[in-house]
Amino acid sequence: MAIITLPYRYLERLARTDRQTIIDRVPMIGADIERIEEDHVDVEFFPNRPDLYSPEGVARAMRGFLGLEEGLPAYTVRPSGITFSVDPALADIRPFLGSAVIRNVNLDEEAIESLMALQESLHWAVGRGRGKVAIGVHDLDTVNPPFRYIASPRDRSFVPLDFEREMTMDEMLADHPKGRDYAHLVEDFPKFPLIVDADDRVLSFPPIINGELTRVTAATKNILLDCTGTDRRAVMTAVNIICTAFIEAGATVETVTVDGEEMPMLAPAERVVSVAECSSLLGLPLTAEEMSRLLRRMRFDAEPDGDSRVRILVPCYRSDILHDWDIFEDVAIAYGIENFDAALPATSTVAQEHPIPAIEGAVRSVMTGLGYLEVIPFTLTNERVLYVNMQREPAPGTLRLLHPINEEQTVVRTDLLPLLMEMLLANKHRELPQRLFTVGDVVEDCVTSQMAAAVSIYPTADFSEAYAAADVLCRELSLSYTVAESADPAFLDGRRGDIVVDGKIVGVFGEIHPAVLGAFDLEHPVAALALDLRAVPGYPVLPDTP
Amino acid sequence: MELTLNEKRLLVALGPMGSADAAVLAEKMDTRREAVVQYANLAGDRGLVDVEKHVARRYVPTEEGRAYMGKGLPERQVLESFEESIPMRDLQGHPLAKIAIGWMRKKGWIVIRDGVVKKTGKTSPGPDEAAFARLAESGEIADGEGVADLAKRGLVEEEETVAYTVSITPRGRELLAGGLDLREEVGTLTREQILSGEWKSLPLRRYDVTKLPKRAYPGKVHPYQRIIDEMRRILFDMGFEEMSGGIVQSSFWNFDALFQPQDHPAREMQDTFFLGERRPLPKGYERVRDMHEHGSGTSSTGWGGTWSAEKAEQCVLRTHTTSLSIQHLAAHPKPPVRAFCIGRVYRREAIDPTHLAEFEQLEGIVMDEDVNLRHLLGFLKEFYAKMGFEKVRFRPGYFPYTEPSVEPEVYVDGLGWVELGGSGIFRQEVTEPFGIEHPVLAWGLGISRVAMLRLGLRDLRQLYRSDVEWIRETPIYGGRR
Repeated sequence: MAIITLPYRYLERLARTDRQTIIDRVPMIGADIERIEEDHVDVEFFPNRPDLYSPEGVARAMRGFLGLEEGLPAYTVRPSGITFSVDPALADIRPFLGSAVIRNVNLDEEAIESLMALQESLHWAVGRGRGKVAIGVHDLDTVNPPFRYIASPRDRSFVPLDFEREMTMDEMLADHPKGRDYAHLVEDFPKFPLIVDADDRVLSFPPIINGELTRVTAATKNILLDCTGTDRRAVMTAVNIICTAFIEAGATVETVTVDGEEMPMLAPAERVVSVAECSSLLGLPLTAEEMSRLLRRMRFDAEPDGDSRVRILVPCYRSDILHDWDIFEDVAIAYGIENFDAALPATSTVAQEHPIPAIEGAVRSVMTGLGYLEVIPFTLTNERVLYVNMQREPAPGTLRLLHPINEEQTVVRTDLLPLLMEMLLANKHRELPQRLFTVGDVVEDCVTSQMAAAVSIYPTADFSEAYAAADVLCRELSLSYTVAESADPAFLDGRRGDIVVDGKIVGVFGEIHPAVLGAFDLEHPVAALALDLRAVPGYPVLPDTP
Repeated sequence: MELTLNEKRLLVALGPMGSADAAVLAEKMDTRREAVVQYANLAGDRGLVDVEKHVARRYVPTEEGRAYMGKGLPERQVLESFEESIPMRDLQGHPLAKIAIGWMRKKGWIVIRDGVVKKTGKTSPGPDEAAFARLAESGEIADGEGVADLAKRGLVEEEETVAYTVSITPRGRELLAGGLDLREEVGTLTREQILSGEWKSLPLRRYDVTKLPKRAYPGKVHPYQRIIDEMRRILFDMGFEEMSGGIVQSSFWNFDALFQPQDHPAREMQDTFFLGERRPLPKGYERVRDMHEHGSGTSSTGWGGTWSAEKAEQCVLRTHTTSLSIQHLAAHPKPPVRAFCIGRVYRREAIDPTHLAEFEQLEGIVMDEDVNLRHLLGFLKEFYAKMGFEKVRFRPGYFPYTEPSVEPEVYVDGLGWVELGGSGIFRQEVTEPFGIEHPVLAWGLGISRVAMLRLGLRDLRQLYRSDVEWIRETPIYGGRR
């Protein structure tokens, strides 16, 4: 999540309002206040609004929302005359480059920190961890144009940021902290992306690390921006957001010519939207004039286009506007989500219980009637609990997680009984007798079905108790069954029975094998039963489709 | 006055003696002393006997003390091991020398000069030795002169004994003189006793109403399940149809159908449990692909790039029940639809008191002609009010598959405004590929958070690692918090 630090003094100056107004109102444009501190507030903005990941961007939005400044912010650019070339060999490595020159920056320590924070947030939200987009800022006055973005041999060396000696790019992947973090993005390519100046000096090894040469400091006056990536749209989003933030802070932006294309133009995109569609989605009877007025407060340019349409200019930094409904949401935000009157539609519908929860409910009635207590174990478990401790062979359809978090939760349960045994262990110090049951999902071969299981532990728990409980459960679920000697190794021979329906084993009951008790560290006999609820009449034929 | 048989037997035993120690009475009545005290207290409440409690402190030897018993304190033993004087070196050969020499000097029995130990002649026994001698005789001593010294040296330790003296009162005597019925009391009535009418003349044992028998524990539905059932009932009351479905979903239904871009962070292995299994894409998946790539004729630009079918086939443990909602809508694209689902969802999160890798989610969807944002707020207000949250407010929110998105917050006493779920209107990019022509209002809610608030839990894990004691002690009907 992107948590943005907003220093009050700077923000108050830019937003032209006081801190309390900002703290009170910023949640209503879509944000969560994380922490309110003496000199700043930390705010979490949503991942679809990277344009709000800087104090400058927040101030721009708040001036509009509070009615201090409306409509499209005007951003002018002029050419810098600087050119950039892109090596065609990068086509399969990291093809896209966006660039700009930013002049007259005024960077104190706080501003540098804020710029780094914006860069990191954009790496996360737009760059997807630098894979899609990686951003570099350089002190322009340390290098000479024109610049070249090339595919370089991996053994080329230069001094990376925060280091004092030259190292090869391969060495950086192994030894530089950033190299280790992002090596996975480039290590499989025969050549590495590299940005060099007219004198073949290295500016950057995107997406890994900049060179020490172009380090941005408090003395930096002019910046060269590079955004490289695998998605052109995302690269330009990052360029636009950074450039407009600098302009809001008082700098000027000049274009760079990348392979003949001049950028960034910071030009808005046009959209024409329907007033009726917006009114109907929001439940607000709006006129084109009202809708335009609301949108101008969200920093769009908006003018009625006849009575039924509104012509809109979308600022270049609003990468979240994919669809007309994204515009309508901004209408709702400008109107104030808190100002909507809640209403219920007049349509009447009929409730319907799903048969599976209905069967589960019936199991609960029967088992609680027998004095059993319901427990709700996790569905993630491990093969030791499911199979080894139970002396059973692993079910062939067991689903294994590709990347488990810990050793306790590596598979999805295929049975409930082992989890009840584990629950008895967890409750070993509680008063006996204990009678526990559970009902819920098990999964085999990607198919979810439901089971019920019950255990009873105390010095005289026995086969007859398990048999009687299994019989009650089946009878109360209208399940006609027969019983046969079971071969389930989790139970004691001669004290175990299979529940058979239509020639198929659908359940088991009996006394748990003493070796299984030992494996679960239990000290008293356990009478147990398990039943596959797919056997119950009325169970839906295609359970895995909602 | 209805005496229990045991009280009567106590009076009979006590009568001839008038007053006796409980231990003596226990022997006479052939029972335990604790039982006698219990009967005596009952009779005492009726004014038939007096019970006097004596607490006595006595001292008994420690292990070290026992070792010296009969032989005398170490300094005495060592003193007597030599005549008038002895070289220090020789004396140190005595096994008790280490303890004894210090005490002998302290008590002024000896002087040491030039490596020779010489008796002073003032060696008569002090009060500590006298006390120790008494201890040796009877195995225990009361507090007295010298005992504190022995205790300080760790030779004796204090022991508290409680004795009860029971004395019959004049009322007790009166009752005893009138004669007592000592027939055995009847506990459970037999069928014969009831049928024959014998019960009329039987002495029935009386029970003490202040004494709770062994507690009984009923079979119970888990407190969390009761909350889930309450929510289901509310949604049935609001006319919703229940959905249920599989835990394992293809990425297609879990993400792509909901217009979540294929490079979205939630689709990385850090956040979601992926499985090695794959599932074929449903018929018509191309419409979803086109929507991702270029917006498919709507006002959307799509995400751009190339959509991968292979990525969509990969199975995951569902990260939300929204994967069921969209399948339900795909199967029922015509209005009205009002459906809900409560089911377990999975997130690859490290487990701590407020985060679990699996938890329950509630989700409601409403699809109808002309439903709008105001109706979404209406359903949320109604639902939360029925859940007992009277004060609800709304803020803009963000969810990848809804637009507009709204975050509802409820007011909880003591906590203030608490964010409780998310909601919105399904994006057209989500509904259009499935031929759904009307807006879909949707909201989801992590109900384990509601359960924590309701049940006063601090650790989410308590819901799933059920402590039997906690379930037994949590009332079935708790009213509203």
